[in-house]
Amino acid sequence: MARRTILLLGGLLAAAGLALAGAHAQARGADGGKEMAMPSRPTLAVSAVFDGAGRLWLARVENGTLLVSHSDDGGQNFSAPVAVNPAPENIGAEGENRPKIAVAGNGTIHLSWTLLLPQPYTGEVRYSRSTDGGRTFSVPVTLNDDGRLSSHRFDSLIVDGGGRLAVVWLDGRDRDAAREKGEKFSGVSLYAARSDDDGAHFRRNEKITAHTCECCRTALAWTKDGPVALWRNLYGTNVRDFALAKLDGGEVRRLADDDWAIDACPHHGGGLAGGADGVLHAVWYTQGKNRQGLFYRRIEGDTLSAPMAFGNAQAQAGHATVAAAGDKALIAWREFDGNAYGAMVLQSGDNGKSWGAARRIAATEGAADYPLPLIHNGRAHVLWHTRHHGVRVIALD
Amino acid sequence: MRTLWLILLSGLLAVSAQAAEPKAFNADSLKRIEARHAGKPFILVLWSANWCGYCIEELDMLGQLAKTEKRLPLVLVSVDSPEDGAAIRQTLSKAGLAHFESWVFDDAVPERLRAAIDPSWMGELPRTYLYDKRHRRQAAVGKLETAQLKTWLKQQHE
Repeated sequence: MARRTILLLGGLLAAAGLALAGAHAQARGADGGKEMAMPSRPTLAVSAVFDGAGRLWLARVENGTLLVSHSDDGGQNFSAPVAVNPAPENIGAEGENRPKIAVAGNGTIHLSWTLLLPQPYTGEVRYSRSTDGGRTFSVPVTLNDDGRLSSHRFDSLIVDGGGRLAVVWLDGRDRDAAREKGEKFSGVSLYAARSDDDGAHFRRNEKITAHTCECCRTALAWTKDGPVALWRNLYGTNVRDFALAKLDGGEVRRLADDDWAIDACPHHGGGLAGGADGVLHAVWYTQGKNRQGLFYRRIEGDTLSAPMAFGNAQAQAGHATVAAAGDKALIAWREFDGNAYGAMVLQSGDNGKSWGAARRIAATEGAADYPLPLIHNGRAHVLWHTRHHGVRVIALD
Repeated sequence: MRTLWLILLSGLLAVSAQAAEPKAFNADSLKRIEARHAGKPFILVLWSANWCGYCIEELDMLGQLAKTEKRLPLVLVSVDSPEDGAAIRQTLSKAGLAHFESWVFDDAVPERLRAAIDPSWMGELPRTYLYDKRHRRQAAVGKLETAQLKTWLKQQHE
């Protein structure tokens, strides 16, 4: 009797063991292991930029491949896409992650993205460029140079119009090194990679600051003093307010005293753009003690305008981005009215001193990326990638 | 002989500690969860397997608590998507929460589900709702503290 029970149990165990092995194989698959296929889930998060000649460049991700195409009619029709990475990689392209594209004055196309690794919260910052007008792209390189399996994610990319470019990202190397020594370390760090020769070479990574929030997108603008970065910083152990800094030896400056103390991931970053006369436009999201919602601030030298609230908090207004050129500035964000997403905008014609009323310029009922503001030749546009309508470019004036 | 039994049994236990596939969470799921827990307290835990490190810390804490606290009425809702089922199961199994009720957001428009849960929630995680037996709920924003949870649990059983 006892022996029969054991046999029965043994059989059960063997069957269960097989089931377990199956579950493990599946788990590895969904984790994005190196040996397996890319996520088949379609991604909507894209980037776009107008070059000096008015050509609109679009970067999007399909099945682990970064695709670049262009439009000469303001986004009505796009060229056949060209693949950037020869082998598929798990490119972050949803939520706070999207590929980045920038075009230099000489026509070089620069791209950066985050390769998400199978281990939780790890990734690498990747870069490629095209020096032949988007016909071919260089073999992607990894910009983080620490050789650690760590978090290198939430990249931003900016070019100065000439041959200089900067990439910043959130980096877990200092946290991991501290933990190996048994020390505590709150948050992660902000690192940068810089190139002065059109992306042919990059200098060694530079640490901009330690103790930043872990999973909000970063932002960059290029000013007369070089690149300026915006990120969600950590003050004390868990106050997650925004900060900015010039990459060339600037001190870290708090964007606003929101006082959002929280042991959580907001997963909700900010935006930054440079306008005329060195003015910076910053947008961000907070649920701090002192203010809650989306806000705009104009930064001119040491003077910051009072935080201006925008967006309908009842409609989950969030994920704002700002674009600027000369005296024009444009803020775009997304709202949800209970049925549909709306692409929302605010426009300024006086370099951010005053702003018009919020407008909903498009709506969609299915999945949608965040609307992206673009300004070219003094004209404001919003590019919006949605499941039902594809990539739409809406001219605002 | 007894050793063999023990080995076999522990093997079975290890197998049973694998989390099941999370159920699809839709706009009306919370209403149904509330109905099923009518008259009873429960804890709605919102988390992500993909991007929320603090969620993992909170899940580990809950897994520890579950070892000693026999009445831990957890309802775990991941804001990832059904394609992340394997990662969700793996995370919950590792945290020792395999046997709890598990759900995953199933809507191309997650804002719709957030609005159904709490329109004032903008997506930051972890986020927990402590429902008392009359279903008056309090929101805990950010990582839940063990002491806070223990106090709350004690109040529910008084």
